[in-house]
Amino acid sequence: MKALMSVGALIGVLGLLMLIGMIFGVVPSNTVRLVEGYMPMQVLSELAVFVAGFTGLSYLANSMGMAIPRFWQGVLFWSFVQTYLKFRIYPPIPFSVRAMYGVVSFVAVFMWVSANEEDWKKFRQPILNVLDANTGFHKALRTLYLILLPILIGGFSFLTMKPSVDEPIELRTVHPAPPASTKVHGKTYTLQTSQNPYRVNLEGKYDQAYSNKLIVEQGMGRLMAPNANPWDDKAEGYLKYVREGGEIFFQNCHFCHGDNLNGRGLHAFAFNPIPANFTDPGTIAQLQETFIFWRVAKGGIGLPNEGFPWASVMPPWEQHLTTDEIWKVILFEYWHTGYYPRTWD
Amino acid sequence: MGSVTRTKLMSVMALCAMIGLLLMPILVAIPALADGGAPAADAKKEGGEAKVEKGKDVYYKTEGIVSGPPAPKTTDSEKDYPRYNFESRVLLWFANQQHLYYGSFVLAVPIFCMVIEFMGVVSKDKAMAKRYDQLAYDFIKISLTAYSLTAILGGILIFTFLTLYPAFFQYLSGIFRPVMHIYALMFVAESGTLYIYYYGWDKMKEGFLKWIHLSMSVVLNVIGTILMFLANSWIGFMMSPAGVDEQGRYLGNIWHVIHTALWNPLNLHRILGNMAFGGGVVAAYAAYRFLSAKTDEERAHYDWMGYIAMALGVAFLIPLPFAGYWLMREVYAYRQQMGITLMGGLLAWLFIIQATMIGILFLSTNYYLWQALGRMRGAEKYQRYIKYLVFLLTCGYLVFITPHTIVMTPAELKAMGGQQHPVLGNYGVMSAKNGGINVIITTTVLSFVWYMRGNKVSTVSWAKFGNIFMGCFFFFAYLNIIMLAVYGYYIPANVRVGLSVPQVATTLSCLFFMFALNSVMMKGAKQMGPIEWGKISARSQYALIMLATAFTWMMGLMGYIRSSVRLFWHVNEIMRDNSPWAYTHTVGFAANMISANVLFFWISIMFVFWLGALAAKKAPVEAKAAVPGRAAAPAVGH
Repeated sequence: MKALMSVGALIGVLGLLMLIGMIFGVVPSNTVRLVEGYMPMQVLSELAVFVAGFTGLSYLANSMGMAIPRFWQGVLFWSFVQTYLKFRIYPPIPFSVRAMYGVVSFVAVFMWVSANEEDWKKFRQPILNVLDANTGFHKALRTLYLILLPILIGGFSFLTMKPSVDEPIELRTVHPAPPASTKVHGKTYTLQTSQNPYRVNLEGKYDQAYSNKLIVEQGMGRLMAPNANPWDDKAEGYLKYVREGGEIFFQNCHFCHGDNLNGRGLHAFAFNPIPANFTDPGTIAQLQETFIFWRVAKGGIGLPNEGFPWASVMPPWEQHLTTDEIWKVILFEYWHTGYYPRTWD
Repeated sequence: MGSVTRTKLMSVMALCAMIGLLLMPILVAIPALADGGAPAADAKKEGGEAKVEKGKDVYYKTEGIVSGPPAPKTTDSEKDYPRYNFESRVLLWFANQQHLYYGSFVLAVPIFCMVIEFMGVVSKDKAMAKRYDQLAYDFIKISLTAYSLTAILGGILIFTFLTLYPAFFQYLSGIFRPVMHIYALMFVAESGTLYIYYYGWDKMKEGFLKWIHLSMSVVLNVIGTILMFLANSWIGFMMSPAGVDEQGRYLGNIWHVIHTALWNPLNLHRILGNMAFGGGVVAAYAAYRFLSAKTDEERAHYDWMGYIAMALGVAFLIPLPFAGYWLMREVYAYRQQMGITLMGGLLAWLFIIQATMIGILFLSTNYYLWQALGRMRGAEKYQRYIKYLVFLLTCGYLVFITPHTIVMTPAELKAMGGQQHPVLGNYGVMSAKNGGINVIITTTVLSFVWYMRGNKVSTVSWAKFGNIFMGCFFFFAYLNIIMLAVYGYYIPANVRVGLSVPQVATTLSCLFFMFALNSVMMKGAKQMGPIEWGKISARSQYALIMLATAFTWMMGLMGYIRSSVRLFWHVNEIMRDNSPWAYTHTVGFAANMISANVLFFWISIMFVFWLGALAAKKAPVEAKAAVPGRAAAPAVGH
């Protein structure tokens, strides 16, 4: 047990030093990189390692007779989580989400320190000591709080009420609900049931299972599936349509949506918000092909009321592309990102 | 002897009367159902040559004889939408919500009574049996007062409909005409049954008569459930109409009107929701009485009552997210845009609030159980591991509440480099959230297992193996849930949706297998000390109150979400809402309104509790050694 806790403590100390070093630039900030695509599990795993590390540290401190009071354990752990969220995760997490995480971690710390009566007594003892002020030090501390707290609250109120020149927050609906059907070039498409006419097998029949096998694999390499190179001259059927879609994409879309379809094209940063990142699992991977068809055809101008504020300047592509071209470019987007369009069967 | 036989005879007659009451609405309705709607029949009578107009069912796609008028095309006028100088929708919202709260409560509590009374009947420990019986009686007593209030609120709701939305109400009642009176008669049956059940409690407390009494509670619950199913059919029809043509004309098949695309998932979701809610309210009642108790006996009784109510509520809370998942799946299958409006579009932020509330429910439950460990001698060995459960719960919760549509300033948006965050973007989608909630539920199951074995040490010869097996089972359950959540990103959406099945199966396996295994292991276990009822911390009782408040708030929220997903339709795609209030409220307004409803409910239910306490009078305490622990039940007179 002691050995296990010692290893935990070692990990805890190393982790803390690394984090502090990276925050203050002593250690290069990319020493332990958060790898795109693996970040979500990486973050949770790192937090788990830190918890194990802190447990080990606490155990060692106890063994050496230098136990850290439960109150300070709680305060320090909560502060650590906030520091981690603020400085470790990049790109930075918006304040609204950090505030949510902050409240949850506060509740978690409370649950931990008050889970049993003994711990709860230990935790609140320092607070009661200050409130009771039986010693000179505590009396001074209580007086200090009496002065500081109103100043802090006043300062907070002042900052909240102070007029700001920042643009206001907009709660934008990223995926507004589509209409039941849409009319493009004189033909009506029912979004629930329509299919991409180019997602076909070698016999020319709609076959998503077939096309799913030929998409770019997900993961770090994003390699093409074997014998599934759309730019091969012999490519036929689905792969040929992917190539044609790709050509349309690079003639029309990549200026904004980027070579890697990650929303960071040549002109992307002229817009606010920047164009959609198709490689993110929250965009096209969540949607039916017909939804994309509707969005591409109608553009930002065709967004429904629900999509307000319409922060999209995408042109209504039905004015520039044929229906077939739109379907092909959608085919390419799914192929390139390695995602499958949503289906309901 | 003669009098016993007479009592038996009377009891059997009472049961038969209840069954008669249950069947009465159906018998009365047979002619109406056979008619299939009067207009069609009239048309036939008026002349054989009269042309019969046919229409196509909007959902079932079957043909039927047009038997009703089309849905009215309303205008923003005093005729269609009479009004006070106030938003009519808000008034209706309030009336509806209050009726629903009370309705849910009075439907849930008799189910608890049935379960608790049954536990009492089958219990071999006589003192314990008596205690259960007393508890069931306490429950039904509370619900009796609430029952009158439910009826009053139902009346207020109908008057609100009639005065503020007459055109809509006329249309809806026209469509449901064949079952409208069944619904009303069901209320008569429910009331009659409830009164016989309540007032017959003392007369039928022994032997055969007790079983008859218990059977009555089954009949009572059958009636209550049918009532709820009928009410659900209206909201199901408003969301996903069937049995009418495109103009909204009734096609003569009332079963199609009732059995809409969303009816069954709504039924299941509401049964579970009502039960969880009912458990929460009774637990809060017990917590309130615990906190205000003057004696140790009272504290012991209400501690125990709170625990039983919480356990029953949570038993139904655990499958609730899965029922909700099924409902959402059916919503998506019915109309994609409805699903997207709910979970990815206009109402998405309300779903984040919902996730937050669900998390609070589970966190409160876990916290209560950890506090409850404190009243057992020998449970200390588990307490030092609680921090790891906190960590698991927190990780699951953080993932579960991460929004897909993030609130951020334009500056933050720029700093983030786009709408999608590489970490949060992954937590914001369904695959991760399924993992999150399953981790939370599995941890709750683990807390329950710890609680169940808190003051016991297994004495079976294979105890060590059993403990290792349980540990491994939980470990691999977590691993499986997390791995499936990650795997969900690499497969097509239709397969990903199916992944929820093995995840849920894993969680439920933990629930059923581990509970069963634990029970076997703890049979004849060595007791380290008694459960000291009444010695629980005050914080635990606040957790129960938090649990009940979160239930109430979440019910209000989900009702609002379900209703507002129709957007500007009274009946989806059939009857348009042309009132000035056919817009979606802001999240802030909706939250305030829900809070006001919750506040009103709790103030009024406190009144109900107070009335219940007024009727109580002290009776001799008989069950001394009822529960492990020293405190006996403070029996309440009736």
